[in-house]
Amino acid sequence: MATARFSDYIARDARNHGMLLRFSFPPYPVVGMTRATLRKYVEGNDPTTGKPLMQELVDALTKPLTAQEKNPVRVQKPERPRLLKTDSEENLHRLFLENGWTDGLPIVLPTEERVAEMLTGTSHAPDEVVGLMTVTHLQEKLQYTVEKVAVNAVMAGARPEHFPVILAIASTQEPSLPSSTTSFGRMILVNGPIRDEIGMNYGAGALSPFNYANAVIGRAWTLMSVNLADARLGETFMGSTGHNLNYNNMCCAENEEKSVWQPFHVEKGFKRDESVVSLFRGWSVINSMGAANCIRPATEETAIMLKAFPALRSAATLIMDPLVAKGLKEQGHQTKQDVTRWLSQNVKIPAGQYWGADVIYAFMSPLARQGVEPYATWAKLPKDELITPYNDPTQMNIVVVGGETNPLWLTTDFLYTQSASIDKWRPKGGIRRDERPLRMPAGTGCSDGTCGFPA
Amino acid sequence: MIPSTLQSLSHAVLNPRGQSTGVFEPSSMAPRLDTLNGKTIYLVDVGFGGGYEFLEEAVGWFSRNMPAVKTVLRRKRGNMFLDDPELWAEVKDKGHAVIFGVGG
Repeated sequence: MATARFSDYIARDARNHGMLLRFSFPPYPVVGMTRATLRKYVEGNDPTTGKPLMQELVDALTKPLTAQEKNPVRVQKPERPRLLKTDSEENLHRLFLENGWTDGLPIVLPTEERVAEMLTGTSHAPDEVVGLMTVTHLQEKLQYTVEKVAVNAVMAGARPEHFPVILAIASTQEPSLPSSTTSFGRMILVNGPIRDEIGMNYGAGALSPFNYANAVIGRAWTLMSVNLADARLGETFMGSTGHNLNYNNMCCAENEEKSVWQPFHVEKGFKRDESVVSLFRGWSVINSMGAANCIRPATEETAIMLKAFPALRSAATLIMDPLVAKGLKEQGHQTKQDVTRWLSQNVKIPAGQYWGADVIYAFMSPLARQGVEPYATWAKLPKDELITPYNDPTQMNIVVVGGETNPLWLTTDFLYTQSASIDKWRPKGGIRRDERPLRMPAGTGCSDGTCGFPA
Repeated sequence: MIPSTLQSLSHAVLNPRGQSTGVFEPSSMAPRLDTLNGKTIYLVDVGFGGGYEFLEEAVGWFSRNMPAVKTVLRRKRGNMFLDDPELWAEVKDKGHAVIFGVGG
C-alpha cells in the first residue's frame, strides 16, 4: 500500500525493480491524520479505483494470478540516439523546454561544435563512462559518459575551464535533486588552486549571482540531475514545495586565504594544493542577520539557531565569513573542531522536541527500538528532559566563505556527503582557458587586505 | 529574442539524457491464497509517518470483518530504505501472506 498521491510513482518504481506487485492506495496523506480519519480511510474506497480499500487488499491476496503475473515479460529499454533530429534553433529550444530537459531558464544548445570545444577541457575520452545516477533511492540508474556531461555543461553555459569541476561533481554519481517529498537543498564547495584558475568567488557575495564560474558550475549539477539522473516533476521528483537552492546548489569556494583554520578539503584528507569539490545535503538555511559578538558570542547565537532544526544524524554546516572565524579564534577556539565540539556539548533541546520531528521518527526511532545509544536512552526520557541532539561533532562542519564586510554567517542543517578530486579531470596541458577569459566584475574591497583586525 | 536568420538555420544537437541501463527481468508473483480464513497475514509498517497507526486500523478492520484471519502487525527494522532479511524470513516461516504499507 502507498497513498494515492504516489500511485503512478509506485507502480513505475516497482516495475523498474522487476517486481510485479498488486497495489492498493488509501487517500493521502496518512501522516498526521487523526485515528478517526485513518479509520475512514480503512473503511472507505481506494480513490484510484473507487473500490472498497480493504476488500481490494483481500482480493489482491486471493484472486488468481493473471497470465502476465505468472510469466512477466522481460523488458529492455531502447538506446537513446546520440544526436537529436536536426531543427531550427527556435524549435530546438522549444524541444528542450517542453521535454523537461532544462531548469526553465534559457540554455545554450549543445551543438556538436560546442560539445567538442567543451571536451577540450579534459583529457578524458568522450566515451569514457563517468558513472550512473538516479534521483530516487532505488530507481533505475542512467549511465553517462564524459560527452554526456559535456552536453549538460554546454547547456548550463559553462566554458572548458569549468569542465574539470563539473566532471568531478558528475563522478560522485550524486544527484542534486533527490526525489524526496521533503525538497532537499544542496551545496557545492570548491577548494584548492582551481578556485583562482577559473575565477571562482569565495569573497564578498560568493553565494549571490555575481560570479560566472559559481553560477554555471552550480547550474550544471542541476541540469545533470535532470538529464542524467532522470529528475521529472511528479514522476521521479516528488518535492512538495520544491527548493529554490535547486537552481544553483549554493555553489561557491572556500576563502582559504582569509580563514584562520584548516581548509575544508584538508580536513577531509586532501593536500592543500589539491583541487577538490565537496557536496552537502540538507533542507534549511538560517542567516545570522546580525553581526557576531555584538551582544553574545557567535557560538551562543548559533546554538539558538541550531535548536530550530531536527538535528538529524547530528548534521549541521556553518558557512561563516572570515571575520566570524577570526573572532571565534580570538575567543579561544583554535580549530574548527573546537567550535563544533562546543556546539555539540551546548546545544540542548527537550527530548519531546527531538522525538516529535517526522524525520527523527523515520530515521532515528528505529535505532532507538534496536537499542542503539544514545537514542534508546533518549527515547525513555520525559518529554521535557534536555538532550544534546548534536551528539556527534564529527558530523558538524564549518566552511569559511565571505568578503569581510561584517562578521556574518549562515547556519544550516546540511550533512556533508562526499568529496571528489578535480585534478584527475584536468586536461594534460593544464586548465583550458579562453584567450580572454570571461569574468564578471570582481567585488572591490580592502586593497591590501589589512583593513580588518589581524588574524 | 532569437534573430530570424538563426531561426531558419538547422542545427544538429546532442541528446542530453543519460542512457538507460535497465534490462528488466521481472519475477513472477507468489501464488495467491484460496481464502484468508484461518491464515496468518502479516501487516508490515515500512516506516513512513502515520503508517503504523494506519495498519493498526487495518488490523481492527480484519478483527471486525474477518475474525477468522489472524493478523500480525510488525514494524520493519531500520528506516524505510533498509532491508530486513530477518523479518522476511519470519514472514515466510510463520505467515501466509503479507501487506506492506504505507508508502507516502
